[in-house]
Formats: sequence, C-alpha cells, structure tokens
Amino acid sequence: MEESEDVPKDFVKLKCEKLSVDEVSEMVVSPYCGAVSLFIGTTRNNFEGKKVIHLEYEAYTSMAEAEIKKICRNVRQKWPSVKHIAVHHRLGVVPITEASVIIAVSSPHRAESLEAVMYCINTLKASVPIWKKEIYEDEYSWKENKECFWANSEK
Amino acid sequence: QVSVLYFARSAELAGLRCETLSVPQEITSLQLWEEIVKVHPRLAVIRDQVIFAVRQEYVLLGDQLLVLQPGDEVAIIPPISGG
Repeated sequence: MEESEDVPKDFVKLKCEKLSVDEVSEMVVSPYCGAVSLFIGTTRNNFEGKKVIHLEYEAYTSMAEAEIKKICRNVRQKWPSVKHIAVHHRLGVVPITEASVIIAVSSPHRAESLEAVMYCINTLKASVPIWKKEIYEDEYSWKENKECFWANSEK
Repeated sequence: QVSVLYFARSAELAGLRCETLSVPQEITSLQLWEEIVKVHPRLAVIRDQVIFAVRQEYVLLGDQLLVLQPGDEVAIIPPISGG
C-alpha cells in the first residue's frame, strides 16, 4: 500500500462547465473506504407555479472556496474517520435538470459519509457566498436560502 | 482606500461589481454602509437584508468597530442561495 493513499484530501472547485458525477465520486474513492456518499443538487423546472427557464449562479469566488474549505475542516473534526471530501459547484447558467452542486465524501463505514454529506450541503446553504437567480418566462428572482442567518424577514 | 465588491442584487442596484472607496480607517459597520449608500442611494432598499464580508469574514451591519487597512476587500453580501 502506498503512503500517499493515506492522506485525506479536500477537492473544492467552482466552475462554469457541466459537473460530472463520475469525476467527483472517483476523486474520493479510496481502498481504505467502504463507503462513498453523494449529494447532487439539480435544477427544478418550477417555483410557485412559475416555469423556470434556467438558473444562473454567481459567487464571491475566493471567499466561497475558503468557506467550503472551512466546512471540510469542520467535517473532519466531527467525523474523524472521513477520508476524502469533494465539493464541486457550478457557476453561470445551469439548465433544468443539470447539477448545480455535487458533494462526495468517503469513509470506511457508511454512517460517517452519509452524515457528513448532509452536513456539507446544509452548511453550504447557510454560509457560502454563492447566489442563484431563477429565470422565469418574463421575469427573474434572486433566491434566498432559508438557512441564511441574516435574511430574516421578521427583522 | 478599500475595494468594495458588489454581488447579486446589490450589484444590480449599484450598477457595478467593484470600485475603490475612501473611508476612515476606524469606522463602524453601520457607518461604512452609510458611506456606501451615499455613493449608491439605490442600495438603501436592501439595507435590512445584507451583511458585509470584511477581509472575507462576515460582519453584521451595526456597532461593530472595523479597523480597515488600505486595499482591504469589503463585500456587500445579499442573502445567499448556493447549493
């Protein structure tokens, strides 16, 4: 067994090209791991009865990458057996049914990677500076995640 | 002199994505917001929904005293919607 297989790695990428589930899951595969858990966020074609034509994402790229890396560090503190983590988020135009985010986590046994993936997507939605614009037939709307801690309309 | 970055709705209202602004070195986050709104009055409508990121750390609009260095990045952060 090579020494380099043992080093846990984080793979964080923001890109405009189509995301690949094969590519992201292959990044986290490890001979020491019996589980790879995946989350894929895909674009829905409707919101409150309106037809969504496509989504557009923008990001404060340098800070978004830093915040995602913080999430990876937190994952490793909470689930020390996690081996590799990959988070790919698409920017720019994302057509309906295509993936806007893919998260993959590997661990020796399945509980940790399943929990870690859920933690990653929930925390990403609460803290990573990325914005989504939904384009409808004759208007558009900047979305707001309910997880966003400063956007309480009750203020 | 700090770099102010605008995103999403705030970039639409301000009409630009980044600019350099001269502000006092010590300033509260609320005062910083008010300086920015003087330059871009249309931003006033989102005051209750935004926070700042100063040197890539989130800062609420309020009494928190910021100590800014020349070239620091200050970003206007509307409610996020990643994922």
